Amino acid sequence: MTNQTDTAVRESRFSLEAASNYAVIVAFIAVVIFFTFAAPGFMSGENIFNLISNKVVLLAIVALGMTIVIGAGGIDLSVGVSIDLSSMIFIMMIAAGYMGAFAVMGGLGAAFCVGLLNAFLINKLKINPFLATLGVLFIGKSIQQLSTQGGVPIYLTRAEYAAPFDAIARTSLLGIPTPIIILVVCIIGVYLALHRSVFGRYVAALGAQADVARYSGIRVPFHMSIVFISCAVLSGITGILLSSTVRSYVPLAGDAFLLDAIGATFIGTAISAERRPSVLGTLIGVALLAVMRNGLLLIGWNFFWQQVGIGVLVFLVLGLSFGLRKRAE
Amino acid sequence: MTAVEHAPATSRGWFNSKVFAKLAIRLGAFAAFAGIMIYFALTARGFTTTYNMINVVEQSTILGFLAFAMTVVFIGTGTDVQKGGIDLSIAANAGLCAAVYAVMMREGYGNYVAIPAAIGTGMVIGFFNGLAVVTLKIMPLLGTLAVMNIAAGVELTLTENTVVPVQSDLMTVLAFGRFLGISTLAWCLIIGSVLLVWAIHYSKIGLRLYAVGGHIEAARAAGINTGRYVYGAYIFSGFMAGVASILIVSRLSSSTPGTGLMLLPILAAALLGTVFSRRFIPTIGGTLLAALFIGFLANGFQLLGISSYWVSGVQGALILLVVTVTSFAKKH
Repeated sequence: MTNQTDTAVRESRFSLEAASNYAVIVAFIAVVIFFTFAAPGFMSGENIFNLISNKVVLLAIVALGMTIVIGAGGIDLSVGVSIDLSSMIFIMMIAAGYMGAFAVMGGLGAAFCVGLLNAFLINKLKINPFLATLGVLFIGKSIQQLSTQGGVPIYLTRAEYAAPFDAIARTSLLGIPTPIIILVVCIIGVYLALHRSVFGRYVAALGAQADVARYSGIRVPFHMSIVFISCAVLSGITGILLSSTVRSYVPLAGDAFLLDAIGATFIGTAISAERRPSVLGTLIGVALLAVMRNGLLLIGWNFFWQQVGIGVLVFLVLGLSFGLRKRAE
Repeated sequence: MTAVEHAPATSRGWFNSKVFAKLAIRLGAFAAFAGIMIYFALTARGFTTTYNMINVVEQSTILGFLAFAMTVVFIGTGTDVQKGGIDLSIAANAGLCAAVYAVMMREGYGNYVAIPAAIGTGMVIGFFNGLAVVTLKIMPLLGTLAVMNIAAGVELTLTENTVVPVQSDLMTVLAFGRFLGISTLAWCLIIGSVLLVWAIHYSKIGLRLYAVGGHIEAARAAGINTGRYVYGAYIFSGFMAGVASILIVSRLSSSTPGTGLMLLPILAAALLGTVFSRRFIPTIGGTLLAALFIGFLANGFQLLGISSYWVSGVQGALILLVVTVTSFAKKH
C-alpha cells in the first residue's frame, strides 16, 4: 500500500517537473496557434517579416546581452543607458558630418564606456550589480538630459543624412535585410561564447556558485568585466540599429527595452531543468513577447491592454514553470 | 543603543581604531546630511525659511510613504535586492490606485466608496505580488515586474493616458488644510512615520518581520509562519501605495500618468536609508531621513538655480557612494 502511493507520488513528481520545463514552449505554441485563428493576417509572410525585422531584432540583441549577464549571476539595469548613449553619439556624429563608419564606432565606443564603468563599479568598488547598474541608470539619465536640453529629440530626416542610415537599415545581403544578418551574427557569437567555449563555462560557474568559482582560480573580475562590457556593446548595437531605422535619437528611448529584455531572459530560463539562462531560451522568450504584442495589436487591443495582456501572460507562464517545479522538489 | 556601542572603546581606555572607523562611517552619513543642509542654508536664499522647510516635508510625504512600503518589503524579505525581495510594482501600483480613485470620483461615487476602493486595489495588487513570490515561488524581481506591467497597463486603460481631475472637500483639506501651523500632508508624514516606527521597531510583528528577512530558515525553525509575513509585507506595501495615491491625487488635484516613474527615487530612498542605521539594515527612521535628504537635495538645487537635469545623476552618484561605503564598512 505504502509502496504504491510512493510510486504514484514519484510518477506525479516526474510528470510535474517535465511539464514545468515545457510550460514556456507550450505557451508559445498555444499563443501562435491562437493568433493564427483569431487574428487574420497574423500568419502572412509580410506580417512575420515585419515582426522580425522591426520588433524581434532590436529586443533580441539586448536580450542576448542580458542573457550573458544573468548567466553570470548579475543583472544589468543600465542597458537602456548603453542603447541611448550609443544612439546619441551615433546621431550626433552623423549630424556633425562624420562618416557613417566612424559614427558607428563612436556609438559603440560610448556603449563600451558604459560597460567599463559598470565593470569598474562591480569589480573595484565591489558594488552589487543591481545597485551599481541602478546608479549608472540614474547618471545616464542626467547625461542625456544635460546634453539634449532636458530631452529634446534629434531628428535627422533630411535626405542629406540618409546614406549611412540606409546602409544599415535598408540594405540586404542575399535577400536578407542587414539588421537580421546582424542579429544572426550576434546569436551565433553569443551562442559560441556561452555554450561552446571555456568562457561560457566560467560564466556558468560564476552564475551558479560565485564563491566556488573564485576558489577554483577563475579570474572573477576579468570575466565579470567581459560579461558587462559585452552586454553594453550588444545594447549599443541595438541603439545604432534603432537610430538608423527611425533616423533620430529620442532621449531615454532605451529604457523601454530593459524590462522586456529581463523578462525574455527569465522566461527563457524556464526551458532548462536547472533554470539557467540560455541563448535558445532567451530567443523563445523574445519571440513570445513579440508575438503577444503583435497578435494583441492585430486583434484590436490597444497599447494599454497589450501591456496588461503581456503582464498576465508572463505571470502565468512563470507561475506555471516555477510553481510546478518548486512543488515537484 | 549608541551608548552601548561607545562603551567598549571607553572602558578599554585606548583608542580603538576599529570602533572609531565604524563610528566615523556611521556618523559620516549624518555628517554628510548635516553638511549639505548647512551648505544650502548658507548659499541658497530662502532655504531656511519655515515655508520652504514645510514645503520640502510636504513634497517628501509621498516619496516617504512609498519608500516606507519598499523598506517594509526589504525588511521582510532580506536586503539582497537581487536574490531577496523587492517590490518593483509599488510606483505603478500607486499610479493605478490614483487612477481608480480619480475615475470613481469622476463617476460620482463619494470619498467613502472611492478611498476604500483605491486602497483595496492597492492591497489586491500587493496580494498578487505575495502570490507570485510566496505561493508560486517566482523570483521577486521577476514576479513584481510582471505585476508592475499589469498595474501600469490597467492604469493606462482606466485613464486612457489622460489627466483625470478630481475635486472634493477632502482633497482641499489634504492639499491646503493646516493644523498648528503645519500642513495636512506634513502631518500625514509625521503620523505615518510614528505609527510605522512603532509597528516595525517596537512590536512583536516588526521583530518577527526582521527575523523572517534576516534568516528565513531560522525564522521558520523558530516557529514563525514565514509565508504569512512575506505575504503581509507585500500586501502592506500595496496598502501604502493606496494611501500614497490619495495624497498624490490631493497634491496634483488629479490623477496623472507617469506616477510609475517614481520607482527609481523610491528605490534610492529605501536603499540610502540603510546608511542611517547602525547595522546598515533597512529601518523606518533611516528611510524617513533618506526621503527628506532627497527632497532637500532637489529643493536646494532648485533654489541655487542648478538645472534639475543634474538631480538624477546626483542621486545615482549618491547611491553608488553609499553602497561603496556600506560594503567597506561591513567588511571592517
